Amino acid sequence: MAYLLIRRTLGFVLTLFAVSVVVFAAMNILPGDPALTILGLDATDDALAALRAELGLNDPPLIRYLHWVGAALTGDFGVSHSFGVPVSGLIAERLPLTVSLAVSGMVVTVAAALALGIAAAANRGRAGDWAVMFLSQIGVAVPAFWLSMLLVLLFAVTLRWLPPGGFPGWEEPAAAARALILPTVSLALVQSAVLARVTRSSALEVMRLDYVRTARAAGFSRRRVLWRHVLPNALIPIVTIVGMQFAALVTGTIVIENVFYLPGLGRLVFQAISNRDLPTVQALVTLFAAIVVTANFVVDLLYLAIDPRLKARS
Amino acid sequence: MIEARALSVGFGPALALREASLSIAPGARIGVVGESGSGKSMLGLSLMGMAPDAAEVTGSLTVDGVEMAGARERVWERLRARRVAMIFQEPMSALNPLKRVGETVMEPLLVHRGLSRSEARARALALFREVELPEPEAKAMQFPHELSGGQRQRVLIALALACDPMLLIADEPTTALDAEVALRVIELLVRLSEERGMALLFISHDLAAVARATREILVMYGGDVVERGETEAVLAAPRHPYTRGLLAARPSVGDFRRPGAPRRRLPTIPGTVPPLDLLPPGCRFSGRCPVEIARCAAERPPAHEGARCWLAAEGAA
Amino acid sequence: MKRVAPNLLIGGVLVALVVGVAALSLVWTPYDHAVLNVRGKFQGPSLAHWLGSDQLGRDVLSQLMVAARNSMTVALISVLVGGTIGVALGLTAAALGGLVEEAIMRVADIGFAFPALLFAIMLAASLGPSLWNAVAAIAFINIPIFARVARASANQIWTREYVLAARAAGLGRFAISRDHILPNIAAPVIVQATIEFAVAILAEAALSYLGLGAQPPAPSWGRMLSEAQTLMYQAPQLAIYPGLCIVAAVLGFSLLGDGLRDATDPRLARAR
Repeated sequence: MAYLLIRRTLGFVLTLFAVSVVVFAAMNILPGDPALTILGLDATDDALAALRAELGLNDPPLIRYLHWVGAALTGDFGVSHSFGVPVSGLIAERLPLTVSLAVSGMVVTVAAALALGIAAAANRGRAGDWAVMFLSQIGVAVPAFWLSMLLVLLFAVTLRWLPPGGFPGWEEPAAAARALILPTVSLALVQSAVLARVTRSSALEVMRLDYVRTARAAGFSRRRVLWRHVLPNALIPIVTIVGMQFAALVTGTIVIENVFYLPGLGRLVFQAISNRDLPTVQALVTLFAAIVVTANFVVDLLYLAIDPRLKARS
Repeated sequence: MIEARALSVGFGPALALREASLSIAPGARIGVVGESGSGKSMLGLSLMGMAPDAAEVTGSLTVDGVEMAGARERVWERLRARRVAMIFQEPMSALNPLKRVGETVMEPLLVHRGLSRSEARARALALFREVELPEPEAKAMQFPHELSGGQRQRVLIALALACDPMLLIADEPTTALDAEVALRVIELLVRLSEERGMALLFISHDLAAVARATREILVMYGGDVVERGETEAVLAAPRHPYTRGLLAARPSVGDFRRPGAPRRRLPTIPGTVPPLDLLPPGCRFSGRCPVEIARCAAERPPAHEGARCWLAAEGAA
Repeated sequence: MKRVAPNLLIGGVLVALVVGVAALSLVWTPYDHAVLNVRGKFQGPSLAHWLGSDQLGRDVLSQLMVAARNSMTVALISVLVGGTIGVALGLTAAALGGLVEEAIMRVADIGFAFPALLFAIMLAASLGPSLWNAVAAIAFINIPIFARVARASANQIWTREYVLAARAAGLGRFAISRDHILPNIAAPVIVQATIEFAVAILAEAALSYLGLGAQPPAPSWGRMLSEAQTLMYQAPQLAIYPGLCIVAAVLGFSLLGDGLRDATDPRLARAR
């Protein structure tokens, strides 16, 4: 158990390190002069040279990488060119919105997917099952940003129940919550389509197993067998998918924030791209990749917690 | 008291169980033998109301005088564990891998008996002692994968006993176990049946195990009960050709003990059990039977002194 | 049992439709998709313009057809490039085994930390947004996926008798990989490619929607949607057609992939 834990943690740290190398390499070593990218083609040679010196571009890549990682580990991601403030401050300011969006999206996804997937499995081959399978098949093929537009067309443009986009700020909690409803639903619908399918097939797989027959033979009701015996065992493969989906949801927020004009990290990264604000883009991409890696690590830990057989195997 | 009258389980026209009749009194110990596909497991499952959803169950089945044929799942749920309990072949996979075995045995006590957690725990430990699970307190805290096969089977027996059923159906309970362990599980089942006055339906393809565990026996082939009677009598003087074939195909201890003795080839019943939908309409064994007569394939033989065989019936006439 | 599985049938029909329209656009579209006609903007569907015209009076159907071709091209190139590299890596890993295999698969794992969107953002930030960066980003995320599939299938084939026989005959690891392993992992690789084709269409649409893919005036379903979004009050219909095209294409390829998998791996089909 301890061995497995150490191994996983070590792998996690190494992956984070590798991620930082990849991001740094992609943004600094690929052909292209960051100073030129930032200042544009009409910049004077003097200005370019000054900026190169300021960015430390004259140092060898390894030194620059170490400087960047070293500072990043202390929470210092440099100064944003376009905003003129530390990147860490920008992140801190915009993180709450993105996190609330991702977490609420995940909660809705899991709740909807478990309910639909288990219901479909329990009614295998009947109309309800077909409906869930059909909707989830379609759902997998619908781009989240298009779904958002359709929801805006219906609920904001036609019915005028909800705002079409924008964010009033956290000072008005009710309005803030209303502003997050459509983005959350857009994020969750597509992901829950995927998860409902996985839940259904995982539950069907478990239902064929001997201990489910034992539970029925012990006189437990269908409902109890389903929720107390089938679901916990069916959850094991589901946990992996949920981890991958959390990663997809977090990057999904990048798209959704741009659809709904929400001032979160996803919107920030696009503002940074159009302002050629390299330090900000670099920090945000690293952050997003780190969230993805962390989500997978947490899934590994959850596995250890859920499945007693894994503890024994190590 | 459980009575089955002409109980059939069909998948379309194919019958997995053909008009089986059986009455089980308190304390009775009945063996059911046959090859896989003989319908012996289907008989056990249908006594639990657990025949597959696709199957059509006909005939009559009464439990304590209440007709259960066509009963809804809800009604069956109230009978399972409390009147009729069942254990299965694979103790490996028959226990929920995510639950400590103590919790598994406590669950029916909490759900069906409404005991408090501490009462249920005490009762579960008492059950573990009754089935001679070693170190019950420690074992109760373990997960199924941490127990041996024999210990798992004991846990399953404890689970089945939790609500004091009047009938325990044991479907191949010893097949997956080592010979030594299997023997002790059989002894346990016999003792529990005697001490509790609980009936035991012991389903197995292992004649030696059935001989040890039971007083009455049903021999099944192709969904049909082909012979029945007292276990000792049937095994000593089988009347049905299939039972005779089954007994002849069994290796006896003596075959292996005499060094230097000429090796005897085990006789086998020629052919294999046909699939359900290709069974002959008359005696299910016709086609493989060494002493078959003309009418066997087309007409179902009547039961004569326990054996469903035209030869036995006509020999008597 | 010989009838065609519904997912294979529906998927095949949708794919044939989308690919057919894309191919047709090479030789014929109702109008030149880029021709502006400011006087005829926001037209509804008519005999002249079956699906109407957009804010600049361009024929919507013609744009959708050319966009289908662009979408197929992007998906084809990115899956082909990413798949080839990935399969080569997977075959190498399986052929060499040991530390090399471990190293290749670890590096592939790192690739999973970068969704296509993140990779495209990095490329756009350092090289400027372009369709080719989108292709590169999508190709990149395909590498680890195909490496995994190829390695897992190849490792199974390596234990077969005919491979052992080939080794006994003195054939080298790479010759065996080429002659015996590759043909035998074709089925799972093709299935994966079909599914990744659907993913690539979705990714291209999302990247173009965000401005990281197709640049104007190249028509793309994603870009048409991002333009339609600003016109949602005037011309909501413009937000419908491109989305339906994306759904049809993605649904087609993913159903086809599912159907092919069921057909080539009956064991999996039964489990589902």
